[in-house]
Amino acid sequence: MKAIAKIINRIKTNLHKGMIVPAVLLFITFTLLPIIFSIGLSLTDWNGYSSPDFVGLKNFIKFFSDDRAKNAVKNSVFFALLSVPLLNIIGLSYALLLDRKFKGVNFVKAIVYIPAVISPLIMGYIWMFVLQDNHGAIFAVFEMFGKGDNYINFLGDPKMAMYIIIIVNAFQFVGLTMTIYAAGLQGIPQDLYESSAVDGATKFQQFTKITFPMLGPSIVINVITNIIGSLAIFDLVVSLTGGGPGYATETISLYIFRQSYGGQSGYAASVSLIMFVLVLIPVLVSLRIMKKSRLHLED
Amino acid sequence: MKKTFLVILTLVVTFALSACGGNSDKVTITFLNGKAEAVDWVDAAIIEFEAEYPDIEVIHEFNADASNALKVKISGNDIPDITTVYDTALMKDGYYYDLSDLEAWDRIDPSIKALCTDPLTDIQYRIATNRTMAGLFYNKAIFTEVGATEPETWDEFVAALEDVTDAGYDGLYMGGKDTWMIGHLIEFWAHGLIKQELGTVDANIAFMMNQTTKLNFDADNGPMEIFAERFMELKTLGLLNDDFLTATYDNQIDAFANGEAAVISQGMWALGGILEKAPNLASSIGFMPYPAMDPTKDAVILSAEDSGYAIMEASESKEAAITFLNFLFEADRQKEYSELIKSPSAFTDVDADWSPIREAVTSALSKGTHIGFTATPSGFGGGEAGILVQNLYLGEYTVADFVKEYTDSWNEAWNASN
Amino acid sequence: MKYLKSISFYLAIVIIVLISFTPLFVLIKLAIASPSLSMGETITNFSTFRFANFVDAWDSSNLGRALFNSVIITLGSIFVCVTVSAMAGFAIARFTNWYNKLFFRALLFTMMIPAIINAVPLYVIMNKLHGLNTYWAIILLLSANTLPFSVFVYSSFIKSIPVEVEEAAIIDGCTRFQAFWKITFHFLKPATAAVVIIQGVGIWNNYAQVVFYLTRSSMQTLPLSINSFFHKYGADWNLMAAASLISIVPTIVIFVLFQKYFVKGIQAGALKG
Repeated sequence: MKAIAKIINRIKTNLHKGMIVPAVLLFITFTLLPIIFSIGLSLTDWNGYSSPDFVGLKNFIKFFSDDRAKNAVKNSVFFALLSVPLLNIIGLSYALLLDRKFKGVNFVKAIVYIPAVISPLIMGYIWMFVLQDNHGAIFAVFEMFGKGDNYINFLGDPKMAMYIIIIVNAFQFVGLTMTIYAAGLQGIPQDLYESSAVDGATKFQQFTKITFPMLGPSIVINVITNIIGSLAIFDLVVSLTGGGPGYATETISLYIFRQSYGGQSGYAASVSLIMFVLVLIPVLVSLRIMKKSRLHLED
Repeated sequence: MKKTFLVILTLVVTFALSACGGNSDKVTITFLNGKAEAVDWVDAAIIEFEAEYPDIEVIHEFNADASNALKVKISGNDIPDITTVYDTALMKDGYYYDLSDLEAWDRIDPSIKALCTDPLTDIQYRIATNRTMAGLFYNKAIFTEVGATEPETWDEFVAALEDVTDAGYDGLYMGGKDTWMIGHLIEFWAHGLIKQELGTVDANIAFMMNQTTKLNFDADNGPMEIFAERFMELKTLGLLNDDFLTATYDNQIDAFANGEAAVISQGMWALGGILEKAPNLASSIGFMPYPAMDPTKDAVILSAEDSGYAIMEASESKEAAITFLNFLFEADRQKEYSELIKSPSAFTDVDADWSPIREAVTSALSKGTHIGFTATPSGFGGGEAGILVQNLYLGEYTVADFVKEYTDSWNEAWNASN
Repeated sequence: MKYLKSISFYLAIVIIVLISFTPLFVLIKLAIASPSLSMGETITNFSTFRFANFVDAWDSSNLGRALFNSVIITLGSIFVCVTVSAMAGFAIARFTNWYNKLFFRALLFTMMIPAIINAVPLYVIMNKLHGLNTYWAIILLLSANTLPFSVFVYSSFIKSIPVEVEEAAIIDGCTRFQAFWKITFHFLKPATAAVVIIQGVGIWNNYAQVVFYLTRSSMQTLPLSINSFFHKYGADWNLMAAASLISIVPTIVIFVLFQKYFVKGIQAGALKG
C-alpha cells in the first residue's frame, strides 16, 4: 500500500511536467497530422476521392505558369497591402479619439466592435444589399432624389469592387484593432505626458515620441494578425462579389477552394503551401522592421 | 482537488455518453440530400417510413454542397447509402449501383428512363422522379403592350426585345452574379446546337467522352463562337439589364414579378418564387423555347430529368435503401412532391396540379427540340463557365479569347478527372 | 475654437456610430420586413413591423435545437480551450526548455497556414475516431484551433506574474500543479476574458469546419441553420436575417459583460509579450 501511495505522490508532484501534454496531443491530432497529410497530397494529382498518383513537384510548377493563380495572388497581396494600413490607421484613430471619458464612451466602443461578431458571409450580403446597383439601399435613396442614373455600379467594376471589399472588411474588424490599441493606450503612464508638456512638447511631438513608440506591442499584434487575416479572406468575397466581376476579386483562398472542389485537390494543397510562404514572408519582414525601429518591445 | 476531479469526471462521462450511438440490430441507411426544397418533405416521409418499417433507421443528411460533401465522404470512407448527387466522373469510376432492375421503372415515363441511362453502358445508375423544363419566360402583358408577338427565330427575338426596351422595360434580364445562370445559358443556347444535331444519346456520349471533333467548341462558326457573338449582340443593342454583372437570381425573379423585365431564362423551379411575389401574374406568364442562335437550326427547350436518386455501390444495406426509395415513390407522396417543386412527375400514375402555367409549358414543349442538361466535367461546371462570360461582357476577352478560354478550360478539366 | 473642436468631435463620434451600426441596422430591417417587399423598399420603409419572421425562422430550421447545440459546443470548447491553453501557457512561460519552445513556435507557425488545406485529411481523421456528428469530437477540434492565440495570450500573461506567487504556495505544501490552479489561475482572469471573447465568438460563428462534421440536422449549429435559408435557387433573406439576429444577441451580451476584463487582458497579456 505504501508503495502505491508513494507512486501516487510521485505523480502528483510531477504533474506539472505534463501540463503541456493535452495541448500537444490536440495539436498533433487536429493540426499537425492534417498538415503533413496535405503536404503529401500536394505532391500528387489527387482529384478529391479516389487514389492519388505521385507527380512530384508538378503542381508547384503548374502554379507558376498559371495566370489565374498569379492573378489570385496579386489580388490577395493588393488586398493585404491596403487593408493592413487602413485597419491600423482607422483603429488607432478611433482608439485615440475614444481615449477619454465621456458619457457613452463604452457604448460607442461596443457599437464599433459589434460588426466583428457578425459572420463575414452575412456581412457580405448585408453590404451587397446596401451597395447594389438598381436594387440597393443607397440606390433607393438616389432614386428618391431622382438621381438614379448617376449611381455607379461599384460591385460591377473590376477595380472598384476590390476597394469595396477592402473598405467593408476594414469597418468590420476595426473594432478588434481599436480595442487592442485602446488597451495599449491605457498602459502608457500619464506622467510621461505631463512631464513632456512641462518641457514644452506639442501634441504632435507627444504622439511621435511617447504614444507611438510605447504602442509598439499593440502595433506588432495588430499588424501581424491583420496580415494573416487579410491573406486568408474568403467568406466576405464569396458573398459580396463571388470573386468577380470575372476574376477581379478572386483571392487566393477562393482560388484554392475552387480548385480543391473542382477535382484538383492535390494542386489546391500545393497552392495552400505556397500561400503559407506568402504569409510567412511579410510577417517575418514586419517583425524584423518593427524590432529594428525604436518601438519599445520586450523579448 | 476533489472538486475539480469530480467536475472533470462528470464532463468526461457526459462526453462519453454523447459519443455512444446506436447499438440495436437495426439496419441504418444514410441519405445524403442536396435538394433544399425537399428537406421537409423527406423528413416527414422518414417519420412515416420508420413507423411502418421499425427495423430500418434512415439518417437524413442535408448539405447545400452535397456534391463536394459526397466526395469528402468517399475519401473519408464514410459513404452514404442513398444520395441525390449524380456525378459522371464518379459514375465512370464505378461508385454507383446498377438500378436497372428497380420495379419502379415500370411506372416511369420511358423518356425519363432514357435520360437516366448512361449512354456508354446502357445502364441506369439513378432514377428520377420528375421532369423539369427550362426556357424563356416572358410577360405576355408587356408583349401585347408593345405590340410584340412570341418570336420563333433569333431575329424575331431581337426585334421583340428591341420593342420592349424602347418602351422602357428590361429585355432579357439576367442575374449575372449568380454565374450558374449564365452557365445554363451556355448549356441550352450554345450546347443546344450540338445536342440537336447529334441527338440526345450521341450528344451525351460526345460530352462525356470529350469527342472534340464532334463538339467542335473552338471551330470557326462553332457553337461557342456563335454564342459569344450573339451574346455580345444582345449587350451592344442594350437588350440585357444594365446591371448584368451584379444582379442576382433574386433580383431577376423580383424584376420579372414586378413587371419590369420582359423576358427571363429560367426553369420550372423559379415559378414558385415568381408567383409568391406576384400571385396575379400567373395568367400573363408565357413560356417559349430558346430561339436558335444559328439560323439553320431549331429552337430548343430543356426537358430533362429532375429529382434523381442514386444508391452507392459501397452501400451495405442496398435492400433497405431500395425499400426506402420505393416508399418515397408511392403515388400519393409523389403527387405531393410534384406540387411542392412545381415540376411534373415522371410517374405515369401520378397526376398532379404542378403548375398554373401548365398550358403555356405544354405549348412551348411542342415548339422546340427537346434537349437535356450537359454532363460538364468536374471543375468546369456552369458556374465556372459563367465567369468566362463575365469577362467577355467586361471586354477582358474578345470573342476569340472567350472561345479559346472556354475550350481550354473544358479540356483541362476533363483531362484532370479522366 | 474650443466650441468648434467639441462639435467636430461629436460629429466624428456620430459618423463612427452610424457607419458601425449600419450592418446591424440592415439585418434588423430585413428581419422585420415582409418577404414580398423588394430590397430597396425593405430598407427605406419604416412603417411595417413583422415579428412573424422570427417565429417562421425558429420553426422552419429548428433554430431551438441549433441554439442548444451551439451553446453546448461553444461552452465545451471554451472550457477545453481555457484549461488546455492555460496549462500549456504556464508550461511555456515557466519551463523554458527546447521542446516547449519548439512547440510554441510550431503553434504560431501553423496559424499562418490556410485552414482549407486541412479539410479532407481532418475528415478522414474524424471518421477514424468515430467523431462525426458527435459533440466531443467537434469540441476537441475547435479547441485545437484556438490553441495558437490562446496559448500565446496565456504564456505572455503568466510571464508577467512573478514566480514568487507560486513559490509561496509551494512552501505552504502545494504541488506546482496545484499552485497553478489554486493561485495563478485567479490572476489570469483578464487573459481568460480576452480568450473567451475572441475565441468564443469565433467558435459560435464557425461554419467552415462544422459543415463537414455535423451533417445530421439534429446536430446542426446556428451558422448551419442560418445557411439552410440559402437554397440552390435564391434565398429567404428575411428569415435568414431573423435567424442571424437570434444568433448575434448572445455574442453581444457576452461582449458587453466581459468588455472591461477583455481590455485588461489584451493589455497585460498580449502587449507585454
